[in-house]
Amino acid sequence: MAKINPDFKDELKKYGAFDFNACYNCGHCTAVCSLSTPEDSFPREMVRLSVLGLDENIQTSLKPWLCYYCGECSETCPRQAFPGELMMTLRRWLTAKYDWTGLSGLLYKSLSLSILFFVLLIAGVYYFAVSEQFNVEKIMHIGHYFEMFAIIGVFSIIILPNIIRMWYFTIVKSGYKIKFNTYIKKFGELIVHMFTQKRALGCDDNQIRWFEHLILVIGYLALLFTTVVLDWFGTDNDFIIVLGYVESALIFIVTFIFIFERSKKTTELSSHSHPSDWFFVIWLFLMGLSAFFVRIFIDTGLIHQNLWMYLFHLTVLVQWALIIVPFGKWTHFLYRSFAMYFDALKKTK
Amino acid sequence: MKNKIGVYICHCGGNISDYVDVEKVRDAVKDIEGVEISVDTMFACADSSQKQIFNDIKEKQLDGLVVASCSPKLHYPTFSAVAERAGLNKYNYVHANIREQVSWAHSDNKLGATEKAIQAVKAAIAGVKESISLEPIKIKSQKIVAVIGAGVAGMRAAKELADLGVKVYLIEREYFVGGRVAQLDYLCRVQETGKELVTRMYEAIHKHENITLFTGAEIIEKGGSIGNFKIKLKITPRYIKKDCNEDELKKAIEVCPVEVDDDFNFNITKRKAIYKNYPSEYPQKPAIDIKNCTRCGECEKVCSSIDFNQKEEILDLTVGSILTATGFDPYRPKENEFGWGLDNVVTLPQFRRIINMCDDKLIYNGKEIKEIAYIYCVGSRQVDGENKYCSRYCCTATLYTSILTHKKYKNIHAYHFNRGIRTYGKQEVIYDEVSQLGDIFLQSYEYDPATVEKQGDKTIVKVKDILTNNTEIEVEADLVVLVTGMEPRKDNSIGDVLKIPKGRDRFYNEIHMKLRPVETVIDGITIAGACQGPKNILESVNSALSAATKSYSIVNTGELALEPIIASVNEDTCTWCGLCADACPYDAIELINKNGKDIAEINKSVCKGCGMCLPVCESDSIEMSGFTNNIIENMISAYADI
Repeated sequence: MAKINPDFKDELKKYGAFDFNACYNCGHCTAVCSLSTPEDSFPREMVRLSVLGLDENIQTSLKPWLCYYCGECSETCPRQAFPGELMMTLRRWLTAKYDWTGLSGLLYKSLSLSILFFVLLIAGVYYFAVSEQFNVEKIMHIGHYFEMFAIIGVFSIIILPNIIRMWYFTIVKSGYKIKFNTYIKKFGELIVHMFTQKRALGCDDNQIRWFEHLILVIGYLALLFTTVVLDWFGTDNDFIIVLGYVESALIFIVTFIFIFERSKKTTELSSHSHPSDWFFVIWLFLMGLSAFFVRIFIDTGLIHQNLWMYLFHLTVLVQWALIIVPFGKWTHFLYRSFAMYFDALKKTK
Repeated sequence: MKNKIGVYICHCGGNISDYVDVEKVRDAVKDIEGVEISVDTMFACADSSQKQIFNDIKEKQLDGLVVASCSPKLHYPTFSAVAERAGLNKYNYVHANIREQVSWAHSDNKLGATEKAIQAVKAAIAGVKESISLEPIKIKSQKIVAVIGAGVAGMRAAKELADLGVKVYLIEREYFVGGRVAQLDYLCRVQETGKELVTRMYEAIHKHENITLFTGAEIIEKGGSIGNFKIKLKITPRYIKKDCNEDELKKAIEVCPVEVDDDFNFNITKRKAIYKNYPSEYPQKPAIDIKNCTRCGECEKVCSSIDFNQKEEILDLTVGSILTATGFDPYRPKENEFGWGLDNVVTLPQFRRIINMCDDKLIYNGKEIKEIAYIYCVGSRQVDGENKYCSRYCCTATLYTSILTHKKYKNIHAYHFNRGIRTYGKQEVIYDEVSQLGDIFLQSYEYDPATVEKQGDKTIVKVKDILTNNTEIEVEADLVVLVTGMEPRKDNSIGDVLKIPKGRDRFYNEIHMKLRPVETVIDGITIAGACQGPKNILESVNSALSAATKSYSIVNTGELALEPIIASVNEDTCTWCGLCADACPYDAIELINKNGKDIAEINKSVCKGCGMCLPVCESDSIEMSGFTNNIIENMISAYADI
């Protein structure tokens, strides 16, 4: 027994969906989807649940994460209901549902609130720089520590509880009892999907998109490792320095392509951009680019006269680490891989 | 007796001549007495062959024609037309089928086939010898059409006929015109209300010198036949004087103490015994519903225009054709059918009236309505009931109604419990529009329809939604709207008076679904609009115009030419047993008394020449022109070589 909630679609529209109510359930979208299978059939089912407002069923479903958005469903839809964009919206909505703080939802729904947070963090970084009297060494030192603590803090306080919530909704609440052994046995799925996104290869559109994405993920994780663990900005090791240059360059080149595609709306998947999508690609781009220049400034000895360069990088980093990573689009990196992991667990039944 | 007969035997390319020795057939019949020429031809139907037959008839002065070729279904009309063009009466032409009945049937036996073909042609020659020239039966026709029903179809047809110069009697049973359309407010896809449409039509017919409108009028008897129907019209008076005082009449309505259910609003409101359905209704005079009037006299005290002395009138009219546009009744749900009987369950027609009456807030039974559940196919596409048909108009009407509610009131949520939406043709855009508005569609199979039940003071509609994997889904509704289909009029007495046959669906039946959609088997009576089957306004008007044209074609020249192949009675031998009248499917045979003797008489304008009366006649007193006993017997003899 399920009760219709007609207001749910208004809620979803705040997360970016539109016109999905036009759906007349022909199922074209599901038929053309190259990832949809008889066991995991989407997107029509998700469109239907969204139209009826059966949010409980969506919350316990992993299907939104099983879609890698090639956009073919939206292109084929005879009613222009944009099922692909709805799936994207449901991922935002799920991200907000998993987030125990509730901040995620607020930021997704309100652009002005997001901007306010970004501005507050700019002020915070400036205040910090002033209180440290613009001491380059000290600021860069603390900046390095911030990275480490931010990673640990955000992961343990926000992300880990949220993943546990995701597990609770999708496994426990939807009635699955899975043996501990199975969790161990299937753990490989998580790692494989996290580092390869191999499921995206099943999308019909093109393999270039998957490759760009793979480069970005590897580049991003490697740069994270290089800056935090290998202390890129502090090291004298030539190999590490070059490695950092390569990684940051990869990031800003790939994200530049993404930004270009989104602004030109070259494909179906790049034609509908929610603010959170823009924040994600632009900040990644800025991070890669500013890190690149900070290291150039260090190598050319310009950094002491041009602390603003580092402060700019630090601001982008702080905004990234405190807004986009815990409450923004970054989390899809984890949720997607966990969804594949959980899906594999469910399939063992 | 014809003695200059032309015989043409067709090869049909090879279809015939591959199995039948056509030359042998030609030679076998050429010396028969009376045969002028016997010719074989590669394709008798080819232009050149037709020309040859034409020339032969002209030059050789042929008085009979036989073509032996394919089935008469295919080319009888071709060769009878050739005969006519050449000045030979077409009833002096006999067709022999030597393809379907000979060459194709006996492809395994060429000798036998040839022999049979020879006999078939001989029989045809024997038939043609005895054939008689016949002329169409001409009857006078009144240049008047009676249009029954002044709804949108009737009024449109009346206007069309009147514009073509035909006199029209427009006969309406109610006191006001407009029928079902008057009950509608905004109409889908036109920026007009039903009332505006009715007003426009009324003004057109009201001014028209060729149209006489009768209200409160019913046909109680029909006699005669095509061209000359005699109808008896019963007219119930309005009990209001001709020159009436409008202000006083308003007062009269106010003071009337009698309150009855208002049919016009589908019984959701009451009206007085002296009434008008809505202020600008046409004709503009109110009427007194005499069945419910108690004769208390209150109205007479305030109004001088009341006249209870008016009497029922009976008029005898003669018309050439009758156009029936008597419309439909909305289906009335049975007790408990989808919650029918609960205080917040209404039908779609009722809901349209409610919307019409509520301005900025949708209120029914004192409660504001926000959540509306529409249940489709109530009384249509029934699994158990007898209404197996789809009522066509309802999906579109409901979706359009939903658009109206969204436009007129705020925060309406609508749920459509349907069995598949059928907004066919151009109406699909309405479905699209409603989807965009956020209405929710739930679909079920016919054997598992939605249910409506009260839980405390809540009304819950439940359905196993096939679009959501058969999940049981429930909606709490403020108002349940049953989308009721169309049914034939409950009071369909006019159909019995006119003897219009009904189909299995109980609507009036046309002759042919596709090719003769507005004619009935009763010659001269046409049908239009929803009395024939569910139709929307556009379709009703379409059929009305088509029926008007058909009726016009009957009356326009003032004369009718009827097919002369009909039955006739031998007055000397007939002793009236009545068997023929029982066998006649067209009611064309009547008992008359001629010179003190009871005999059967055939109504020439009604008889269709079907021949059903012939075999039942024990005294063999009935002959069919064109197929007389003499002709048939001769043909049989020739066939059997006796």
